[in-house]
Amino acid sequence: MFDFAIAGVEAPIFLLAVVGFTVGIVGGFIGVGGGYMVTPALIVFGFPGYMASGIDMTHIAGKGLVSSVRHRQLGNIDWTLALSMIAGTMLGVEMGVRLLVYFKHLGISGVVLLATSVALMFTLFLYTQIETRRAHKQLAELEKQGKQVGRELQTSSLPRLFQSIPLAPIVRCRTARVIVSMWVIVLVGMVTGVLAGFLGVGGGFVRVPALVYMVGASTHVAVGTDLVEIVISGAYGALRHSIEGNVDFMAVLFMIVGAMFGAQVGSIATSFVRGPAIRYILSYSLILATLGATLRLVYVLTGQNVHWLALTAVMLTLGEMIFLCLFISSLVYFAVRRRGGKWVPDWVGPLVI
Amino acid sequence: MKWFINSMLGYWILLLAVSLGAAAVVYEIWLKGRV
Repeated sequence: MFDFAIAGVEAPIFLLAVVGFTVGIVGGFIGVGGGYMVTPALIVFGFPGYMASGIDMTHIAGKGLVSSVRHRQLGNIDWTLALSMIAGTMLGVEMGVRLLVYFKHLGISGVVLLATSVALMFTLFLYTQIETRRAHKQLAELEKQGKQVGRELQTSSLPRLFQSIPLAPIVRCRTARVIVSMWVIVLVGMVTGVLAGFLGVGGGFVRVPALVYMVGASTHVAVGTDLVEIVISGAYGALRHSIEGNVDFMAVLFMIVGAMFGAQVGSIATSFVRGPAIRYILSYSLILATLGATLRLVYVLTGQNVHWLALTAVMLTLGEMIFLCLFISSLVYFAVRRRGGKWVPDWVGPLVI
Repeated sequence: MKWFINSMLGYWILLLAVSLGAAAVVYEIWLKGRV
């Protein structure tokens, strides 16, 4: 146990580093900050809510930077896409925060926030899961026919629709291999920014699917590019929280030690898998986060009296991080076995390189 | 047992069970009484 003087709590250092490590792996792999996992975990460890949010945001900025550097080395960042999106993201976050203030004035912010999160995450889960299953099947068929398969295959028709919008200026994103109206990219940034500002999250879990299904970027590039956005929004959030005195830097330090290693592992792990594998993990992350948010919503709606609901939410928060890490690690393990010509389950083959 | 490895759904269930078990251990050792 370590006495965190600024936060005024005692918490196990080991667990903070482990949380940083596991969320680092997940964040580096699917391109999210992981605020929806870290903030509840820190609250479970005894940190007050505002402090949990500040520590989370500060560690996300550092972790995002490490992941971004690694993804840049892997050639997964499209700078045209990233820089075009920033303006929309900033505007969107401001609009989202104003919307949140409006709902707070109405006195229903807590329930509205949770209900919106649940609806949004579940919708994204359904779409990602259905599309990825289709892509998985197609990959399996192509492999059966002995055809050469690249690292990406996605079956949604939405990117073609958005790419056909003829609004100037049209930009060429070289790394993402996409030619699209800049307004589409700005719109993606703005919509995800509104959600991020309104829900108080980094927005990665919305931005990655948006980049894949609206802009048409490959999943690897969507992950790398989104991490650049996370560094910028995380750094701004960290600055704001630090000024407000919401950050215990000792807690950030312990988390970031684990996160730096985790972020490297997660980023490198993307080079062992195909796009659908990353989208599967993203969808699993979404459904588990949806379950956690639903439990919290029911807990709030039942007057915060049903203890087992809170306990189940705690278990789910911790279990989710372990589950995602195990899944990512096992995909890498299977990929290495397959490269060595050893047996892997049939469903794994089309997902790994 | 083979189904848990050979089927994606089975593998999902197996990993989730292991993860929730590990979460229960973490809770028992470090967090019980604090939550």
